[in-house]
Amino acid sequence: MIPALLSALLVAIGPAHAEDPPPPPPAELPPLTKDPALLEFVQAPYPPEAAAQKLEGTVNLLIEIDAAGAVTLVEVLIPAGNGFDEAALDAARQFRFSPAEDATGPVPVAIEFAYGFVLDAAAKDGAHQQVLPSADPADLPVNLQGTVVEMGTRRPLHDFLVRIDALDLETQTDAQGQWQFRGLPPGNHTVRALHPGYDTLQKPVDVAAGEVTTARLWVRNQSYADPGIIGTYRRETADVTRRTISMDEIRRIPGTFGDPIRVVQNLPGAARAPLGTGVLIIRGANPEDSRVYIDGMYIPYIYHLGGFESIINPDLVKSVDYLPGGYGPQYGRSTGGSVDATTRTQFPERHELRWSTDALDSGGVWLGSFGKDHEHGIGVAARASYIDLILPAFLADDGFTVSPQWWDFQAKYQYQGQNPDKFSLLAFGFRDTLFIRTPDGYAQGTDPDTQGDIGTQYSTYRLGGTWDRAWGNHWSARIAPSFGMDEAALDVGDSFHLIQTRYTAELRAEAAYEHDDHLAVTAGLDVIAGWADFIIELPFNPASFAEIDPLADREPYQLEGTATGYGPDPWVNVRWKPLKDPDKLTLNGGARLMYVIIPDENEVLAVDPRFSFRWALGKTSVVKGSTGLYHQPPQPFQQYRPDDKPALVGAEEAWASSLGFEQSIGPAIKLEIEGFYKDLNDLIVSNRTFGSLDDSYFVNTGDGRAYGVEVIARHEPIGNLFGWVSYTLSRSERQDYPDEDWYLFDFDQTHILTAVAGYRLPYDLSLGAKVQYTTGNPTTPYALGVYDVDQDFYVAFPSGDTNSERLPAYWAVSARIDKLFTFQSWQLLVYLDLINALHGENPEFEQYNYDYTEKTYFKGLPIIPSPGFELKVQL
Amino acid sequence: MILHFLGCDTAELSQSWQIDRLRVLAVATEPAEPRPGELVTFSALIVSPVHPLAGSAWFVCDGGASDDFGCSADPALFEGGSLEEADPEDLAAAGFIGFLPALPPAWLVPTDYLDSLEESARLEGSFAMTYLAAIPEVPEGQTVDEDEVELAYKRVPVSLAATPNHNPVVLTWRVDGFAIDPGAEVLLDPGQAYDLRAELTPESFESYTFVTSLGVAEVRSEQPYLSWYLKDGSFSQSNSIFPLDSTVYFSPDDPADETASLWVVVRDRRGGMGWSELRVRFIAPD
Repeated sequence: MIPALLSALLVAIGPAHAEDPPPPPPAELPPLTKDPALLEFVQAPYPPEAAAQKLEGTVNLLIEIDAAGAVTLVEVLIPAGNGFDEAALDAARQFRFSPAEDATGPVPVAIEFAYGFVLDAAAKDGAHQQVLPSADPADLPVNLQGTVVEMGTRRPLHDFLVRIDALDLETQTDAQGQWQFRGLPPGNHTVRALHPGYDTLQKPVDVAAGEVTTARLWVRNQSYADPGIIGTYRRETADVTRRTISMDEIRRIPGTFGDPIRVVQNLPGAARAPLGTGVLIIRGANPEDSRVYIDGMYIPYIYHLGGFESIINPDLVKSVDYLPGGYGPQYGRSTGGSVDATTRTQFPERHELRWSTDALDSGGVWLGSFGKDHEHGIGVAARASYIDLILPAFLADDGFTVSPQWWDFQAKYQYQGQNPDKFSLLAFGFRDTLFIRTPDGYAQGTDPDTQGDIGTQYSTYRLGGTWDRAWGNHWSARIAPSFGMDEAALDVGDSFHLIQTRYTAELRAEAAYEHDDHLAVTAGLDVIAGWADFIIELPFNPASFAEIDPLADREPYQLEGTATGYGPDPWVNVRWKPLKDPDKLTLNGGARLMYVIIPDENEVLAVDPRFSFRWALGKTSVVKGSTGLYHQPPQPFQQYRPDDKPALVGAEEAWASSLGFEQSIGPAIKLEIEGFYKDLNDLIVSNRTFGSLDDSYFVNTGDGRAYGVEVIARHEPIGNLFGWVSYTLSRSERQDYPDEDWYLFDFDQTHILTAVAGYRLPYDLSLGAKVQYTTGNPTTPYALGVYDVDQDFYVAFPSGDTNSERLPAYWAVSARIDKLFTFQSWQLLVYLDLINALHGENPEFEQYNYDYTEKTYFKGLPIIPSPGFELKVQL
Repeated sequence: MILHFLGCDTAELSQSWQIDRLRVLAVATEPAEPRPGELVTFSALIVSPVHPLAGSAWFVCDGGASDDFGCSADPALFEGGSLEEADPEDLAAAGFIGFLPALPPAWLVPTDYLDSLEESARLEGSFAMTYLAAIPEVPEGQTVDEDEVELAYKRVPVSLAATPNHNPVVLTWRVDGFAIDPGAEVLLDPGQAYDLRAELTPESFESYTFVTSLGVAEVRSEQPYLSWYLKDGSFSQSNSIFPLDSTVYFSPDDPADETASLWVVVRDRRGGMGWSELRVRFIAPD
């Protein structure tokens, strides 16, 4: 009879899986730089009752590991019964691991561990045991040896059982996946490799007298889950529990093209972006009020054309922090939410090549490491679209040519050795172009200045680095400088041209002092500086906006110049845990000074105090809350005034508060409810009294408010199922001028419901589904058009208040099926996404006829089958 | 734009060239660009395919004189239900200048109209707004439905320009290259495509002097464009910009009437306007 076997599947790491959850994590949860590794495995005795009934089983365990690698807690997540659970618990408590590490050093983590029990063939089949040679086997020479390697990944597999049934011999692979037998009689033998979660392999080998035979045993994993941690949901403040969404989950969500950034649009607080825009609408904030970062570097565009895919390859993304509001002072210059994508910090020892192709683009990634201890990790990725080649097949042959194109690249270096100084370097860039050619002789309206082709292009390049270091148990520091360039160009016909080149330099530096478990202080400096060259050519003078006369002759206008600006924002945060049990109550208080200087034009100064708390009620419940001020400088175009006159607009302000409750329901399900309220002041709106160039085009007269409740119930990716149901009930309103009526925010969506689920089937098949329901966006009704005879169009007059009506509700179901094929050194994943599987005719925008007497809708995507594949090769 | 190319279109909406209700298609003044003290007369191309046209009421105000449609007239002025019952002086004060066809609209440009402008700005001048309401005829005893009234406005440029504007003139139609005599009726087959062109008189392409904001005088040429309209059939495009002066007319497969009209309006972008009508008779199938 064979004793217990094991498997160690690091599926998810995080302290939130247990029924009796561990205390809240420390103030900051930076990404892990090193996963824990099992150093000492303890075999459990095979339960006698199970053996008697010839039963096998696998027990899924939650194991908490402290910063020293010791096991502090073991719980059963998915029981197997028949005595397996007790045996696995007792054995796992004696495991020993190497500690997990992040940038600050060893940290406690929790892992999911599958402990398997299988019977040997003799026990199963009642085969007779054969008598071994009489000599002590330890004295005999090795004459059969080899390694057990995972198919597809070429990963050596430790603790695998290797058997020769006919001789009733067995051994176990070591940490390098190696095994050996001594003193085998010459002849043909059948070797078997067994392990729960893997297909059992049988391989005949010939053993010759006086020779050592070597055999490599390729075994196939029954479930190739990607162990990477990829998404973080709502790390609102330093102390709010981190939520993780694994890359394996993200890849299985239909309609997201496996993009980790798009996944945040399925989480609470994020409204559905209109098709083709990809804008982030978080807690009732304007899209421009939310900021996106990659490794802390601010980038103006996160999506390629159409908003279907982000500009960074998913295989290089380590985690995504989604902060809908109430975040700490380390983030600033925005009144909306923040999305911070962190690139991969661990690279495999064995070089790996990945290639993926979907309906939009294709690209490859190379991952690997160099050095004696593989301390130099490197990843390089590049993608290019080909949708411009496919699009003509779906368009009417009306003479128009539409040519969207994009490409992107990323290169990352990561020092992953033992030196206390940790470095990384990231370079990335992308370029998107869209060209629309109008057929000859076709009138694009009646304006001679809008005739001809349209072309637009924007691109971004960044180079950034990080340096992290910890001194003892108290001090740590991080410095992250970056430099980049953004280009934007727009050409409409022969008369309208815009070219802008912007250079941005950023420096994020922070130092943390952790006095003890109760008190920690973090201070930082967030500096951004930029300068831009721009050329604007218009067929008319913007000064003519003051008195519009369409019959007046136009004077071509060219504006050429440079602009500079910088903002050194210092911030500080104090974390205090006042109770004896430091994990019971956590208080965070801090402030950020926002200071934006545009020489000779504008200065914006604001102080943002912020506070948050987290209070553990018992072992399964948490109450949390936050309140604080957030300021946002005006957009560059809002500050512009001709002739270098001082800008007349200031910062927008938001006072945001939230109160939430978390509840664990069993080991797999978490429920979270959170209410929020945002009071918006000094919002920038168009100046209705603009009459001359002495006036500002924009003024700070607007107010706003946004409030709501967010709920998420999530099934962690334990076992074969993962998923969540997310619901947001909210309202967001605006008032442009004092004493005017309030109106609904343009993207106000009362109900936002998203349900996502994925299920792993046998034979490496997976199914995924997503259901999305949102209230339609507000619209302003028009019912009367008055004909402007000179310009040959109708001028619309509203028939109701601003945003007093709504589009019909959005309702869509998407599905996905994928199948993984595994070969010795490579894997192939093929999939089919079915976007809008039920073919809901979802209106995206209203469209009126020429005189506003008829109305219809631009509808969303029809049912679209989107096939693709991903290839992974181990080199 | 992206939505359009993803297959979302607005084909189900009526097109601007389709005349299926009362429409004001063009308004011309004579002179096209008056000077202060000149008398301005008005003409309009108004098409009413469903009900006969009862008439059109006309008003003139200074540019920007009112935030709403029309001038700042006292509503009580029309409480009697008929313009004939209103006091002529009150009507004049409200900017009323005529009612077609009974009282042809005319407006005398005040001699001090440009006095508020600086001397140099008077060359480019200013404009007055003309408002008109085209009203369909309804059976006696019924009231006019507001939705059936067509409201429109047009600017009347007033200046001391050295080269004042003149209205463009459509000289002739060409159908598949053949010139059509004025007033002639064209025989066309149903369900066919025809190349339509509208030729303008050479004088319609005026050169004029424009004084820039820097005081520089430039000689510029007009860039007129055409707008096409019909009652039955369709066009390949509703506008044509010179020098491309054509569109394709797709005659209906099954014409609603034996005859139909096509209209073309030419605008010179300086306020000048002209138009022409082409009568079409569809050849009955054998």
